[in-house]
Amino acid sequence: MNRTLEYILQRVQKPARYTGGEYNEVVKERQTVTTRFALCFPDTYEIGMSNLGCRILYGVMNQRPDVWCERCFAPWGDMEEELRQAGLQLYALESGDPIADFDIIGFSLGYEMAYSNVLNMLDLAGLPLHSEDRIELTPLVVAGGTCCYNPEPLAPFIDLFVLGEGEEVTLEYIDLYQQAVEEGWSKREFLLEAAKIKGIYVPSLYEPVYRPDGTLEEIKVSEGAPQTVTKRIVQNMDQAYFPVKTIIPSTEIVHDRVMLELFRGCIRGCRFCQAGYVYRPVRSRSPELLAQYGKAACEDSGYQEMTLSSLSSTDYPCLMQLCDELLDYCAPRDIGLSLPSLRADTFSMGLMERLQRVRKGGLTFAPEAGTQRLRDAINKNLREEDLLQSVRTAFSGGWNGVKLYFMLGLPTETDEDVLGIADLARKVYFAWRECTPNRARGVRITVSTSWFVPKPHTAFQWEPQIPMEEYQRRVDLLRDALKRDKSITYNWHDPHTSYLEAIFSRGDRRLASVLEYAWQNGAKMDAWNEYFDYQRWMDALEACGLSGDFYACRERRPDEVFPWARLSVGVSTEFLWREREQCYNSQTTPDCRTRCSGCGANQLLTGGGRCG
Amino acid sequence: MADRLLFSKTGRARYISHLDLMRTFQRAFARAGIAIKHTEGFNPHPFVSIALPLSVGYSSQCEILEFSLLEGTLAEEVPARLTAAMPEGIVIHQCYEARRKLKELRYINYIMNLEYSEGRPQESEPAMAELLGRESLTVKKKSNKAKAGFTEVDLIPLIRSWRIECQSDTMTLDAVLAAQNPGLNPELLRTVFCQTYPQFTPEFVTFHRREVLDGEGEPFR
Ligand code: SF4
Repeated sequence: MNRTLEYILQRVQKPARYTGGEYNEVVKERQTVTTRFALCFPDTYEIGMSNLGCRILYGVMNQRPDVWCERCFAPWGDMEEELRQAGLQLYALESGDPIADFDIIGFSLGYEMAYSNVLNMLDLAGLPLHSEDRIELTPLVVAGGTCCYNPEPLAPFIDLFVLGEGEEVTLEYIDLYQQAVEEGWSKREFLLEAAKIKGIYVPSLYEPVYRPDGTLEEIKVSEGAPQTVTKRIVQNMDQAYFPVKTIIPSTEIVHDRVMLELFRGCIRGCRFCQAGYVYRPVRSRSPELLAQYGKAACEDSGYQEMTLSSLSSTDYPCLMQLCDELLDYCAPRDIGLSLPSLRADTFSMGLMERLQRVRKGGLTFAPEAGTQRLRDAINKNLREEDLLQSVRTAFSGGWNGVKLYFMLGLPTETDEDVLGIADLARKVYFAWRECTPNRARGVRITVSTSWFVPKPHTAFQWEPQIPMEEYQRRVDLLRDALKRDKSITYNWHDPHTSYLEAIFSRGDRRLASVLEYAWQNGAKMDAWNEYFDYQRWMDALEACGLSGDFYACRERRPDEVFPWARLSVGVSTEFLWREREQCYNSQTTPDCRTRCSGCGANQLLTGGGRCG
Repeated sequence: MADRLLFSKTGRARYISHLDLMRTFQRAFARAGIAIKHTEGFNPHPFVSIALPLSVGYSSQCEILEFSLLEGTLAEEVPARLTAAMPEGIVIHQCYEARRKLKELRYINYIMNLEYSEGRPQESEPAMAELLGRESLTVKKKSNKAKAGFTEVDLIPLIRSWRIECQSDTMTLDAVLAAQNPGLNPELLRTVFCQTYPQFTPEFVTFHRREVLDGEGEPFR
């Protein structure tokens, strides 16, 4: 280890996150590999190491003998300061080599609030921020992850974006890159070829043209680039890579357990949910394979905890069978098994009893809206009676805490819907009084509301976010309604981050200058309260002559050209529009298992595969 | 009585904290397929306990961990199998049945390396010798128990022996210090030295535990 670094590590908080050397870290000989890839996560080690997607890509790339993929995370403020002072460049954990010397630098973009860290990490690496200022092919700067379904605010900084699941396409563009290096292509030559790979979006080949009112007229396509870039998916989950053998951090991370991915996609079709649309269609792993992976992952990691992680795990068709098999393995070894997401309607005491034998602390449900009418409008197919039945069972079984999550500002929401949240919470409280075996212990019911952020590629992509004052008024309304209920705690999300998310998630390329301005003025780690400064972003918008409300609070025209108009997740715009109209009629759409609603995503399945 | 491991913690593993190291051991036993006793109660987990927590950043070649080996694994197999399941920098040297109580572990031999990259000032050696040779060396130590928020400790009785060795750009202090009740963290010696002789403040100091000793000065196992 570099002496200066050793010196620094004595002075920073939690130094173990900057050293590498964990169990299962992949180390290769520099001379034996042709391509070095720096997998960068624009947040702390603890967050980044909890990301299943990164673990998969790390494994997939390192399976190839000619590629060495290493990790790099955003340093916390104290470490950044030390690095800058010592003149050390951002380095990869495995080798300690500066990532600027790597072939490819790949960012994982999961949330908008990490954008400033992307710029900061490029800068810490000693690289020019703008793609056009990085003249050479090497290092190539790429990005993948959920944000890439509208990556426009980052377009000038990134050479290419990967849409969808990266297992296959990553290896494809690495092959092309190797060919380019061997044959001495220019960066432009490489990017033109890369754009022909399915799922790759090269932003420099697309040019947005604006109208005087700031909306898009069109997005021009350079010759040779595809008119539309469609996301990639893994066709068969049983053949997809699963990280059985994966890095086990030596320091505690956020999700410090085995994560068993049951399936991708979600059958539900909640109209506000971006994940529900962009990960379509549903593709499941077989229970036999999952049981095998789960056990093997426990054996290899030594973890004492396993969680079933998918968008709505209780929708997994063979859940009971799988749980029984896993429990047979876990129980005698004191390995805890848990489900992070529960749906009230499929919840059964038996399942809960089976899974969380020891901990009876809290249960979490997300009704999202307070009235049946609004839940129908957003297609959250959760009936009040089912929720109450579930909590009754739970309370009878000795649980004494429930967390309920809601959103304020959903399309068509009225004050009646807001007050409906208070009613529902009270009904949950009465269910507890009715069913608990132990009233003396009391109950904790927590109601949390966030401010709805309309997202690209959803039925609500045309919707305005309600104004901040209106959000605050609805918060106050609900707070007043819950004031007298001692057993109900009400938390509401700070609106500032949600407003910025609303701006950036549907933002266009002009926001890149806002991002750069904010970064120049100190923005970084914006997902952290310690660093987030709302005013800094408002100043940045103003300095760039852009209005936040234009992006957040403007209702889009039906024929709006979206900044992501050239990008497709396989779900047709007509379908999304239909879903929006269904919302205004408070009509639900059945889940994909009950009936296909013809969203178009099945066409992503080659060879006539069916969703499910 | 319990079983013990003697292990070292060097290189990149130096930065693993005490709590994280315990977790790492719990997992490593499971990875290595070595069955050990679990705690009883609500949330059972593998029981491990590390004697005399090492400060983050220090290296050591004489750490001791207590646990109980269950049937199925021979003690002599443990070091190799467990080391293979460990992160880089942690090596298990011995696994044996504990024969004596931990409180008989009285001293720790530390190697403290003070580095001066611009060259070590000549006078730093006599300065250190002067400091350690004093009759008494009382310092204020933070304490949550004491009313004033600190207590006064005399360091001299906590130092059993010491030796200084110098190179052109380093000064190495080889010291045997009290291990517990109360123990002396060599960091405190650095602090006192730098306070007393600020002109000889080194750029960088490393700490290494070389051996744990009993009351007779013999290695403790
Ligand atoms: S094609 Fe049909 S079944 Fe498949 S995801 Fe779309 S709506 Fe669901």
